[in-house]
Amino acid sequence: MRLHTGFKLASTIAVTALLATACSGGEASTTGEDDQSAAGPVDLTFWTWAPNMENVVEIWNDENPDIQVTVNKQDGGDPAVTKLLTAIQAGSGAPDIMQAEYQKIPTLVSSDALADIADDVDDVDPSIAEGFPEGVWNAVTLGSDAVYAVPQDSGPMEFYYRADVFEELGLDVPTTWDEYADVARAVQEADPEKYLGTFSATDAGWFTGLAQQAGASWWGIDGDAWSVSIDSEPTRRVAEYWGGLVEEGVIDNKPMYTPEWNAALNDGSQIGWLSAVWAPGVLQGNAPDTAGLWEMAPMPQWDSAAPATGNWGGSAVAVTTQSEHPAQAAEFISWLNTSQEAVDALVSEAGIYPAYTPAQAGALSAPPEFFSNQPDFYELAGEIAQTAGSFTYGPNVNVAYSAYNDEFGRAAEARSQSEFLQAVESMQSVTFDDLESSGFNVTE
Amino acid sequence: MSILAPAPPSAATASAPRTLPRRRGGEPASVLATLVLLLGAAYCLLPVLWVVVASTKSGGELFSTFTFAPSTHLLENVSDLNAYRDGLFWRWMANTALYAGVGALLSTVVSAMAGFGLAKYRFGGKKAIFNMLLAGVLVPGVVLAIPQYLLLAQIGMTNTYWAVLLPQIISPYGIYLARIYAAASVPDEIVEAGRTDGAGEGRIFRTLALPMMLPGLVTVFLFQFVAIWNNFMLPYIMLGDDKLYPLTVGLSGLLNQGASQPALYTLVITGALLSIIPLIALFLTLQRYWQVDLAAGAVKA
Amino acid sequence: MTATQDAPTTTATSRRTTAGRDGRRTAPYFFLAPAIVLFVVFLALPIAYAVYLSFRTEQVSGLGLGSGARTQVWTGFTNYAQALTDPEFLASVGRVALYGVIVVPTMLGLALIFALMLDSRRSRARGFSRISIFLPYAVPAVISSLLWGFLYLPDVSPFYYVFDRLGWDVPSLFSSNLVIFAVANIAVWGGVGFNMVVIYTSLKAIPTELYEAARLDGCSETRIAWRIKIPIVTPSIIMTFVFSMIATLQVFAEPTTLKPLSNTISSTWTPLMKVYRDAFIRGDLYSAAATSVIIAVATFALSFGFLHLVQSRAFGQEK
Repeated sequence: MRLHTGFKLASTIAVTALLATACSGGEASTTGEDDQSAAGPVDLTFWTWAPNMENVVEIWNDENPDIQVTVNKQDGGDPAVTKLLTAIQAGSGAPDIMQAEYQKIPTLVSSDALADIADDVDDVDPSIAEGFPEGVWNAVTLGSDAVYAVPQDSGPMEFYYRADVFEELGLDVPTTWDEYADVARAVQEADPEKYLGTFSATDAGWFTGLAQQAGASWWGIDGDAWSVSIDSEPTRRVAEYWGGLVEEGVIDNKPMYTPEWNAALNDGSQIGWLSAVWAPGVLQGNAPDTAGLWEMAPMPQWDSAAPATGNWGGSAVAVTTQSEHPAQAAEFISWLNTSQEAVDALVSEAGIYPAYTPAQAGALSAPPEFFSNQPDFYELAGEIAQTAGSFTYGPNVNVAYSAYNDEFGRAAEARSQSEFLQAVESMQSVTFDDLESSGFNVTE
Repeated sequence: MSILAPAPPSAATASAPRTLPRRRGGEPASVLATLVLLLGAAYCLLPVLWVVVASTKSGGELFSTFTFAPSTHLLENVSDLNAYRDGLFWRWMANTALYAGVGALLSTVVSAMAGFGLAKYRFGGKKAIFNMLLAGVLVPGVVLAIPQYLLLAQIGMTNTYWAVLLPQIISPYGIYLARIYAAASVPDEIVEAGRTDGAGEGRIFRTLALPMMLPGLVTVFLFQFVAIWNNFMLPYIMLGDDKLYPLTVGLSGLLNQGASQPALYTLVITGALLSIIPLIALFLTLQRYWQVDLAAGAVKA
Repeated sequence: MTATQDAPTTTATSRRTTAGRDGRRTAPYFFLAPAIVLFVVFLALPIAYAVYLSFRTEQVSGLGLGSGARTQVWTGFTNYAQALTDPEFLASVGRVALYGVIVVPTMLGLALIFALMLDSRRSRARGFSRISIFLPYAVPAVISSLLWGFLYLPDVSPFYYVFDRLGWDVPSLFSSNLVIFAVANIAVWGGVGFNMVVIYTSLKAIPTELYEAARLDGCSETRIAWRIKIPIVTPSIIMTFVFSMIATLQVFAEPTTLKPLSNTISSTWTPLMKVYRDAFIRGDLYSAAATSVIIAVATFALSFGFLHLVQSRAFGQEK
């Protein structure tokens, strides 16, 4: 199969794949249309959890009576993958089209859940890959010739803060992590009820983004073997830093996304949030009364000379191996994620930050409503997005993330810096052992 | 027998007067006993009261005003919920009623037949069959859900109404109760008399035993109804299409999505309130059937 | 049952008698057929399948990408050995044991007290209390855990609001020492009403004559409760004990719903949560199946003694 041969060639350069060649198979572009006319009206099901996705799909359905897409709303990224994998195992019950977070793609490919749609996508738009940032495209090809999904949105991380409270307390926006720590101390000193932020042991994706910013890439492909490098210098540095702040008590240790955290955002006891570009939507839903009080800035840096950020969240849309109409499904997902019309609708309906660069300018002309006080919001976001480092996900991200929850939950509860470092070691060994015992080729 | 037979869950028991007439206020009220009951009631009502109050709040107020301070947004919340994806919530409500209503009805019929068979006949393998059926109580639903899914997928029945309906018809608990009711409320003499009149066994069951067991079977129905109404794991695994979801799965989905869209919290809370109203109504109207005798035979002994 | 051997009554024709006897012989199987068929299809087969899976495992080859990279193989008792030596699993078993020690006596004790008070002629507000205490039974565990979660979190909880005003420094219920009580409370809240109804039902079945005499002799209500009522409802209490114990071993929904609210509930906090994590988060159905089998066998072993005892009592009288 082209996957295997292609994969071995590409794997050595997995992180910096040569994107242009990945999609250069020049086949006749008529096959897709032939399939469509021969098959007549086609019904496709689409599992997604993006808010209001059904309204975007509506546009497609109106324009394409021959390819009708039905949205099945899912609980979220994890439950949807769980159900998809169960359906794959059972041999039936999977949808045609599936939204999947980037970190889930290796797992899904490894379970043979995602179809390789390289040829179908190529038929629609041979230069589609060029429209995506390198790291993002790499996440859907896994560095091979195959294309397992079309990227939808990305989540470059940024620093959100209550500009009014900062002013009141006479604080400067931190640009380095050292400054961030100083500001955290100043905030606590000024008002012990207030925190600059919290270390959330329930959001593995958040910590992954922080590690990515520091230069970590937790998995890698080394020849025909996986490598796991969670317990590496960048991750240890991040864990040590946060463990120190939590132990000192200047940063909260409660999880994000709880009613309590929501209340803290509302009443101004959490005055900062290291989040991603989609944060305005969350803040708006959570603390509508604080509109106009927040501002966004680049992440604090480890090295001001080489600004970097990580990604938190972001997903792609894939065609499953159980779909009987992969060509039509691929046509739909290409439209959904790269046409100006659909991207505009995704931005306005679902509030996403589109991954497809050519459509960004048109869709993101105005700042989010909640940040109308920061007119250059998306310009700044676009600059920040350029600084995202690359990060390779492995086939057992789920195991690593669940280990993160357990190990860092314990460490955060104990408020102990040494336990934060211990947690990194445990994540490494749990993740490595799982790969090894499943039979993957794996090197230390 | 007639004196001691408890006729477990029947209306007769509920309304059976104690032999001494009870005069209202005849006994001095015990402050302690009343206080204990009221404390228990307060403990049980507190979270329910919270839902009622919370469902009157807007999304922002939910996290910013005092927990038990009511607001005025109830109607807004209900209409938001009503508008959510073209009234999907009501579809979930209807689905739940279907799963619980039809499922509990079929379950009661199956349990009644099995309970009658076990209580009124002697036959080879009776003890083994009963023990086997009862052992079903021991297997957690979480454990069964995946194999059930994989097996139903073989015949292409996942993601259909059947996938949720069929597995919940068998209720070891219902069979256990039905056996107790049949043993306690259907006298052998009546069964014998039916046979003497030449009625077949099926006819005896339908026309003689069933009416006698009926009050008890209402209880079996109600318990199975609540069990299906509250079940989460099975529909969660079986269904991919949110138009087939029952309330539990639908609301928990909203809750999970609420993590990134907190506005959905108010929908979940309003939905939770609306979803327990039908059960409260059921409790109040059928109050006298809410009686379970897990060990009727023992009382007789 | 002696009736089956009785000679036919004189009015019956011999033909009808034979038919009746045949009918009587096949009838129980007919009555049980639907239950047995459903049991086999939806319980026995899935259980057998789970047992089968528990002896299997999946081997991945190479990078494990693409179709055909995974194959299912026999693995003997490896999954069982792994589960039984997994410190996380053993910790979760210990936790559930402690949880059971907290929940079952508290819940049944409260249920018994409430049932006795409901049965007492001297208490007031009985109807209101009965329906109120039973009400939580109507609330699905997923929802009730959400409600209590809101009431537990110090920054949104009305209790902590009051504690704060009083100047008390009450530790968070989600701290590692207290979280088990937080979960137990939800279970007690949800279960006390059901058990109260069970016990109350058997209290009502007691013929009043039994204690009218005692009452005339001047026995206090408390004495009547201890000497007459409680001994008579003991079988019901044993049954509620068994069912509560089974439910305790299967605790899952409450801690799972509370988990994202705190740092202290791990993904293997209870044995069933470990099953869930293995099956759904790690995609390892095989370990999950082995752990499930262990849980089911343990539940069976624990409850068999009680069930056996009660069953022989409950159905001892039946012919």
